[in-house]
Amino acid sequence: MPLKLNQSEFVVERDLNKCISCEVCVRQCSNDAHEYDADDKTVLSEASKCVGCHRCESLCPTEAITIRKKAAEFKDNSNWQQAHIKNIYKQAETGGVLLTGMGSDKPHTVYWDHILFNAAQVTNPSIDPLREPMEIKTFIGAKPEKLEIEKNDSGFKLKSKLGPHLELSTPILFSAMSYGSISLNACKSLASAAYSFGTFYNTGEGGMHKDLQHFAKNTIVQVASGRFGVNRQYLRSAAAVEIKIGQGAKPGIGGHLPGEKVTADISSTRMIPEGSDAISPAPHHDIYSIEDLAQLIYAIKEATDYLKPVGVKVSAVHNIAPIASGIVRAGADFVAIDGFRGGTGAAPQAIRDNVGIPIELALAAVDTRLREEGIRHKAAIIIAGSIRSSSDIIKAIALGADAVYIGTAALIALGCHLCQKCYTGKCNWGIATQDPYLTKRLNPSIGTKRLSGLLRAWSHEIKEMLGGAGINAIESLRGNREHLRGINLSEIELSILGIKHAGQAW
Amino acid sequence: MKKIFIDEQYCIGCRLCEIYCQVKHSKSKKILKAFREDQPGTLARVLVEEIGSNSFAIQCRHCEDAPCTGACISGAMAKNENTGVVICDEEKCVGCWSCIMVCPYGVIKRDIKSKKVASKCDLCFDEEEPVCVKNCPNEALKIKEI
Amino acid sequence: MKAFSASGSAKGMNIKMVKNKNILNTDYLIIGNSAAGLSAAENIRKNDKNSPITVLTKEKYSNYSKPLTTYYLAGRLEPGNLYFKKSNFYEENNIDLKTNQNVVSIKSSDNLAITEQGNQYLYNKLLIASGGRPIIPEIRVIDKTGKTLSLDEAMSSVKGIFTLTTLDDAIMIRKYINEYSIKTASILGGGLIGLKAAEALLGLHLNINIVELSDKLLSASFDETASGILIEAIKKSGSSIYCGQTIEEIYTENNSINSFKLSNGRKIPSDLLILAVGVLPDTGYLKNSGIKTDAGIITDSRMKTSIDNIYAAGDIVKSHDVLSGSDKNMAIWPIAVKQGEVAGSNMSGIDTAYPGGFLMNSVEILGMPMISLGQSSIEYDDKNKDLKVYKSHDTDRKIYRKIVVRQNRAVGAILIGAIERAGIYWGLINNNVDVSEIGENIVKEDFGLIQLPADYRKHLVVGEGIEV
Repeated sequence: MPLKLNQSEFVVERDLNKCISCEVCVRQCSNDAHEYDADDKTVLSEASKCVGCHRCESLCPTEAITIRKKAAEFKDNSNWQQAHIKNIYKQAETGGVLLTGMGSDKPHTVYWDHILFNAAQVTNPSIDPLREPMEIKTFIGAKPEKLEIEKNDSGFKLKSKLGPHLELSTPILFSAMSYGSISLNACKSLASAAYSFGTFYNTGEGGMHKDLQHFAKNTIVQVASGRFGVNRQYLRSAAAVEIKIGQGAKPGIGGHLPGEKVTADISSTRMIPEGSDAISPAPHHDIYSIEDLAQLIYAIKEATDYLKPVGVKVSAVHNIAPIASGIVRAGADFVAIDGFRGGTGAAPQAIRDNVGIPIELALAAVDTRLREEGIRHKAAIIIAGSIRSSSDIIKAIALGADAVYIGTAALIALGCHLCQKCYTGKCNWGIATQDPYLTKRLNPSIGTKRLSGLLRAWSHEIKEMLGGAGINAIESLRGNREHLRGINLSEIELSILGIKHAGQAW
Repeated sequence: MKKIFIDEQYCIGCRLCEIYCQVKHSKSKKILKAFREDQPGTLARVLVEEIGSNSFAIQCRHCEDAPCTGACISGAMAKNENTGVVICDEEKCVGCWSCIMVCPYGVIKRDIKSKKVASKCDLCFDEEEPVCVKNCPNEALKIKEI
Repeated sequence: MKAFSASGSAKGMNIKMVKNKNILNTDYLIIGNSAAGLSAAENIRKNDKNSPITVLTKEKYSNYSKPLTTYYLAGRLEPGNLYFKKSNFYEENNIDLKTNQNVVSIKSSDNLAITEQGNQYLYNKLLIASGGRPIIPEIRVIDKTGKTLSLDEAMSSVKGIFTLTTLDDAIMIRKYINEYSIKTASILGGGLIGLKAAEALLGLHLNINIVELSDKLLSASFDETASGILIEAIKKSGSSIYCGQTIEEIYTENNSINSFKLSNGRKIPSDLLILAVGVLPDTGYLKNSGIKTDAGIITDSRMKTSIDNIYAAGDIVKSHDVLSGSDKNMAIWPIAVKQGEVAGSNMSGIDTAYPGGFLMNSVEILGMPMISLGQSSIEYDDKNKDLKVYKSHDTDRKIYRKIVVRQNRAVGAILIGAIERAGIYWGLINNNVDVSEIGENIVKEDFGLIQLPADYRKHLVVGEGIEV
């Protein structure tokens, strides 16, 4: 028996009074944590293989299984925390970079939880969204310098020419997640929910699968450093194009889809040979400056006849405000900023947990900077990187965002239990896997229903909160930081966020 | 009549349909009792076939022109003209297995635990929805009026 | 619908005939109250709600399933439980059942069926579904004095010799066994009826001798291995089997059977003999009817005989065998039901074709379920070079499976012990499915729909299902 320094993360508890040895757990676990013993007619579990995805627990017909966290087995130490010790054991054994999935789980400050939203009392009436009109329709694209309206015989007419823009029924879009990083069934769920709800999903750097072309009008296509799946038709069929510079979970890092995952279907969608590694370089090798970026933006605008909004997605890094300013000046119609808690299919743990800045601070800084420079109207701001609830969204809008991207929340709606093992390709929920045995577990028609349910619920909550604040259109909240107050925040944090502390009146 | 439709691309091979079918046709109708105390145990009337990532659950199709009813020598296997459900009258069945011989889906089983009878899907006629459909976690089974 | 539109002459005739009180007038006359007759009657009623339907049976019973008579013999069912259509079937379908009516001749020119009991039935359309009769082989029956009778003659005079095709036969056998405390019984014929009889009598704790002319049991459908498994089981149960033998002479004493002599000269004492050599279409009474027969009534694909308004179905018919392409008598229940349905539909104006069928049997003997389908007994040999025969034999578990494939199409199967899902093979044979891609998986115990060719499987599983 080899020396085992790392113990299991979880305890698999099986109530033998309830277990009927039906083997559902055995069949559902792609990590082989459960095994049927035909001699004893019992199911045995091997906790060391459990990743804590809770699939077995969810499907067990008698609730016989409980997956619990295994209690700390090391002596308490505030400096040498369990995670450090375990990681060292692992790395000493493998000599490799520690990979992980999803967003950072480290206890950095979540500013949303330190911001409070306002409500109307006495001096302005609140509104009941179920009885009165409430507008949360959102437009993504450049706004004109000023609106010119002319009067003619039939009434008023907009004289100013509007640039291309996206119309969203709610200020929520689905983040970029490529076919490859997630299953086609997950992509279908996102695409079809976006289509039926009147919003957009994003292809990531995965190309547009032929089965998803039906949803092209609700698709934002990505152009990333590997340029996978990009051609003129891809760009023209989409609703908008997003140039991806960086991702919140791994700023400065490229992507790598191993060759064994490049199946025939993925190869044709990405337009690369079957079985070859799909490497997205860390930088775009043709973009070393804002001027280079402007060239790509205009190349895409040319290719799409200036009919589609073209945006740029960047990670929230220390210099995000001037970078965003540069992007807007380079001609982007929207800037997508991904905060450091944003998700990923695979990232080095050291980078995911330590690089970048929280999206709340980045958003406030960017919005402030663009306003100061008088170019805020030239591009919409979409933020991403851990939007967990409708209240996060309403705070983001008040801080200055036009809309939010949701990735992790959407996957959770599809069944993800945040086990963070996306990079293994063994996702038991059929999301982050290409194994046909696992991908069929996600029925897109159920996925679509669940995603639509989430969008509907959050949209309703947004309306309720708007109404409570006496606001009847989300446009009136956008960038209106007077509706926010900080709590337990320092002066500098409040000043970056541009909000008063709770208790301070107008 | 109502018919169960099978969506094989979303069958995940969990076999919960089989488990709930057994419970439904057990004496106690309670899952723990059905699997531990009720003896003889019941057979699932739906069966899951699986090879690699291909799988589907299949139960009696309640054929329009059901071969099993024509082959039945005892008159036990009959189609209810009103509901369209093919039911085996277990009191009448003598266990000659002629129905098994001609069911092209292979969904009639030999229940030899107590009395020898042909055991098959009754479409859970006393439920709002067949339990296999109701308990499929991935909507791979659906019931539709046709 | 009007079933008989060319009714001018018929109507005129009706008026004339009605004067005779022994003449009964009906639209649909069905001779035979079993599988074919009643499925025809049921189907006619589906299409024609009002016209009179009359069913004649020479027996005294309402309806009972002939295959269930051995279940009665074994004491597993009482006579009242042998029905396969409920007692209210006739009422529900407005069918007039006449029992004890043995049709002795048909005057097709007058649309008349005449019974032994002196009744005449005037019909618009007639279905002949009166089944088969047991074969009585030519065996000398000799008493102590040396007086010799033919077996045919002896059937009515000598006690203890029976056929077994009707409920009355079974009732008489049981009565005889009880009355004379019979200990040893013999069965001539190792076919289906013989074996079912043997099983029933074994259940009554009798010593059994089975005499079979061929070297196999169930020789029509079983190969050597299958027959061997069966022989072993029957021998184990305490019975004797004499294969390759027939009975040459039967000896009687006090007008009862006492023993018989096999063709090898061996003399075997026996108190009871059941003749189970087989059945033949019972076409004797049709001799002067004008209906063409040849080892059974000849019909077209609509189950219509050589006479326009006369149809035939069931054991009395020479049926189309889809596997050999030839026509032959195939006296099995599912074929009778199907032919009855087809005949009934056509008689009531719905044009339907009988596609043909193939032989099959399901029987459980001594706890061993056995199914054979189609051309199951054949083997790969010089005459059958286009065959692929897949076999698996688990001697410990007494499981034997054999699938016969000819030119990529399944044509036969034998399943002993593990018969689950046998119908999948029936479907493959019936639908003429190309099974080449399945290979030897076809014979495995876990063979299922999932191994079927994708198109056929899709058709079954997610499509509208099979067409039968």
